[in-house]
Amino acid sequence: MTGRERFMPYVFLLPALALIVIFNLFPTIATLIESLHGNSLVRGGRVFVGLGNFNRVLNDPIFWKSMQVTGLFSVLVNTIQVVLALGLALLANSRVRGITVFRSIYLLPVAVSINVTTVVWGLMLNSEGGLINGMLSLVGIERQPFLIAPTHALWSIIVLATWKGVPLWTLFFLAGLQGIPQTVLEAARIDGAGRWQCFRFVTLPLLRGVLLFVLVADTVANFLLFAPVLLLTKGGPQLSTNLVMYETYRRGFVYGDLGVSSAMLSLMLLLVFAVIGVQFTLLRRRT
Amino acid sequence: MGAKTGRAISAAQPLQGLKLPSHVWRHTGERLLIYVLLVLVALMALLPLMWAFAASFTPNARVFDYAFPFSLRALFPVEFTLEAYDAIFARGFGDALKNSFWLSGVTVVLGGTINALAGFAFARFEFRGKRILFLTVILLPFLVPVDLTAIPRFILVNSLDWRNTWQALIVPGLGNSLAIFLFRQFFEEIPQDLIDAARVDGASWLRLFFNVVLPLSRPVLITAALFLFLQQWDAYFWPLLVAPRPELRLVQVAISTAVEEHRTRWNEQLAGSMLAAIVPILLLLPFQRYYIQAVTSSGLKD
Amino acid sequence: MKQLVLAVSLLLLAVAPLAAQEATTITWLNCCNWPSEEVIAEFEAENPDINVEVETVGFNALFEQIQVRLGGGASDPDVLSVDVPVTAGYGLRGWLLPLDDVFSDEDRADWLPAALAAGTYNGELISAPVSTSTQLLFINSDMFEAAGIEVPGVDDRLTYEQVADIAEQLTQDTDGDGVTDQWGFSWEQTVRIYQLQPLAVGLGGQSIGDDGLTVDGVINSQAWIDGFTFYSNMFNESMVAPQDDTIGTSDLFWSGKMGMMIAGPWNINRYLREAENIEFNWTIARHPYFEDGEVTTPTGSWHIGVNINSDSPDEAKRFVQWISTGAGAEAWWRRGSGDFPAQQSVLALFQSDEEFDEGVKYFLRVAADEATVNPDPRAVSPGYLEYEQILQDAFQDIRTGADVEESLNLAVARIESEMAKYRG
Repeated sequence: MTGRERFMPYVFLLPALALIVIFNLFPTIATLIESLHGNSLVRGGRVFVGLGNFNRVLNDPIFWKSMQVTGLFSVLVNTIQVVLALGLALLANSRVRGITVFRSIYLLPVAVSINVTTVVWGLMLNSEGGLINGMLSLVGIERQPFLIAPTHALWSIIVLATWKGVPLWTLFFLAGLQGIPQTVLEAARIDGAGRWQCFRFVTLPLLRGVLLFVLVADTVANFLLFAPVLLLTKGGPQLSTNLVMYETYRRGFVYGDLGVSSAMLSLMLLLVFAVIGVQFTLLRRRT
Repeated sequence: MGAKTGRAISAAQPLQGLKLPSHVWRHTGERLLIYVLLVLVALMALLPLMWAFAASFTPNARVFDYAFPFSLRALFPVEFTLEAYDAIFARGFGDALKNSFWLSGVTVVLGGTINALAGFAFARFEFRGKRILFLTVILLPFLVPVDLTAIPRFILVNSLDWRNTWQALIVPGLGNSLAIFLFRQFFEEIPQDLIDAARVDGASWLRLFFNVVLPLSRPVLITAALFLFLQQWDAYFWPLLVAPRPELRLVQVAISTAVEEHRTRWNEQLAGSMLAAIVPILLLLPFQRYYIQAVTSSGLKD
Repeated sequence: MKQLVLAVSLLLLAVAPLAAQEATTITWLNCCNWPSEEVIAEFEAENPDINVEVETVGFNALFEQIQVRLGGGASDPDVLSVDVPVTAGYGLRGWLLPLDDVFSDEDRADWLPAALAAGTYNGELISAPVSTSTQLLFINSDMFEAAGIEVPGVDDRLTYEQVADIAEQLTQDTDGDGVTDQWGFSWEQTVRIYQLQPLAVGLGGQSIGDDGLTVDGVINSQAWIDGFTFYSNMFNESMVAPQDDTIGTSDLFWSGKMGMMIAGPWNINRYLREAENIEFNWTIARHPYFEDGEVTTPTGSWHIGVNINSDSPDEAKRFVQWISTGAGAEAWWRRGSGDFPAQQSVLALFQSDEEFDEGVKYFLRVAADEATVNPDPRAVSPGYLEYEQILQDAFQDIRTGADVEESLNLAVARIESEMAKYRG
């Protein structure tokens, strides 16, 4: 590249990156730095407390309980969503009449905001007389305490998050399936591979890139999710839906304890990095 | 131009996955099973929307009447009424729709452009610090919930004196990591020949980008536009912080006005919710094949 | 290239600041979508040099808005509605402008003494009383008569034991589908300390330790355990109250599906607005009490304060003075939130105005009197928000079947841990 051309990459990068640095990266770093500070309300003003906030967080049973909830939630919701999305993509990839209509219907929840999703599902999951219980009673299943029992509430959050989340990931898988050259599948079939073998040894390996993307993006999206908890269960009952992100929100925005809230956010960020790292290594190793 | 280049893309990435050999589905029983599954899934996707839609045309006191025990009447308005819609429009929901539409539209145009530029740089240029920039500037923000870093962002916007202005809503939402990532994946797959040819003809990089690359990129442009649009359309927490003035009220905030201190007007909340959902649905569905193309033509598949 | 030029010019267009605002516009961050236009118009007519712009947000959103905006040092809102028990917390953080120079001695003397005290932090008035509140027992008379139960008079005061007994008779599955569709009783706000405090205080409990920080031995005392065992039984034993509160208590009551509720007098205004849709006869009674306990009623409501960083503190103060005293306070009560005024001169109107002589409006006169019967303010603590939130979790757990003592002990541990930062 000639002299002037050397700056070309930066010209292309500048507008977007400058905005991201100013409005995303800087606030993130500022928040992380806040985790080293405390607001000494008694002495007044903001003071450096080193790792004091981390110490508090790591010795806080509520934090550890919410880590457990988050761990359980992540394992369940991500597994369910990825498997369902892949299954739905295979179904939506069927060559039958009217399939585009079905694909359009499947995409609808993408357009519904998480707040609206939460409100509508919250009403449908009402334990006393919600629509879902109404439908269960038709088939003879007794009423379920969806949002009010510690055994059920997390599952209810998973259900609504899945309704909202799966369609987007289905779209990615569907695209991946359509990108698989037909000749490869044909060749496998001629070699005598059954349908399961075709899926297991041809389709799935060829979807690895999409699978990795969906897995990582879905994991991150679910780590960040707390609106349904905020609007429906407030972390309860008995802390059974108290996700770390919700606890972080509550410490920062309700209790006004920014130091502790930021320390939680930092720890959570480390955890997300670790989980994504593991996902990458596991899926890349298969190459 | 668009049509021609569109074909160029499908030639590079054949889209023939739809044509499964006939023997695969030769049993009608199997076909029936597929339809049953398709319909079941469709019902699950539709049920909440149908109920909410019906309830939004129902008087508030009767919203839950047919939910338990379930009757199909729950999915059709009992005592059809427009009172919920009248009420929310009387409180300025129409203006909120207009505001959100304008905000999302501007974000799509500006954000689409700058994120595409950045995505192109990551896909096509070699430069110092590329990897570290990608990790810190693209990946890191993707991992952090924006709402939880709102306080420093708020202080920043406040010190710029942007409170209650459009730019406070628009500018922080322009740079979008996910959009850059999608663009990068897509641009990496554009044949080098096309770019070389334009360069030999003496086109500058910017001209090449706007005249050669973008016209080839309709699927990813539409997909990124969708993400940018939804991001602003669904915004709730940030607008409430930086632009609470009634003239700047946005859709999701307007929906929440049905919630009062001691009660909620459910039919009004659902009416607002349905209107908020319909706009993206109308924008989303017609472009479905482009989203699939954008992903198919990206480097994600391998 | 054309596209780029277009994009850049759009960017510039977007970044260009909006037209400059009028110099004396003040903003009021208000709660709950109360109708405010008429009241603001009255103020602006009297004060043509001040323009009041109202931002209204939901109850929960209000606290996070204040947290971020005042915590972030923003100059707006100029004026904010303050839920009275958070006064100390805001005072400690230095977010509110002292208002002592705004009010005359007559103004001060007119406020209910408890309200004036609750708006004061470290000897300075920082949140001026606007409203106060009380709670009544609302009764669906038709449902009582159908069950053959005598309807109490407006000045009667049932015991909680009587309420529980009647509620059991009223709770029914009218259509025989195995699910309760007629409920006996509930509280309007099932998990807020504001409304539930009398359960413990009526049995001799305290809301918080005398230092405003200690809760161990206070909110897990026998009085609290007994009071909240009663509460738990209503949801879990006799099951006269719905465990799931997604559909609010007052919605159930006003759609004729609940026999009794303890609720605020704002429900009377709601009835007046929606009378044509409400087909049953109803009445009120005084707030219940325990047979072996004392009569005590919830109190406290909205105050109003000025942002310490306001660019127009003088205008903001003038508005605060207007709406928290005299004609402005009366206007806000009559045409604004409808909450009970905290000014004795305005409260006196309930006794003197003949519009309150009969009918449903007479209930408001009763309520105004009930507001003076042993009102028990909420905890005064710099950590009130934490205290309230954590108790809310505990009440939610108890309501949905968790052990009362365990839930209160967990709340003690959590609140004590949050209060540590205020102890220094």
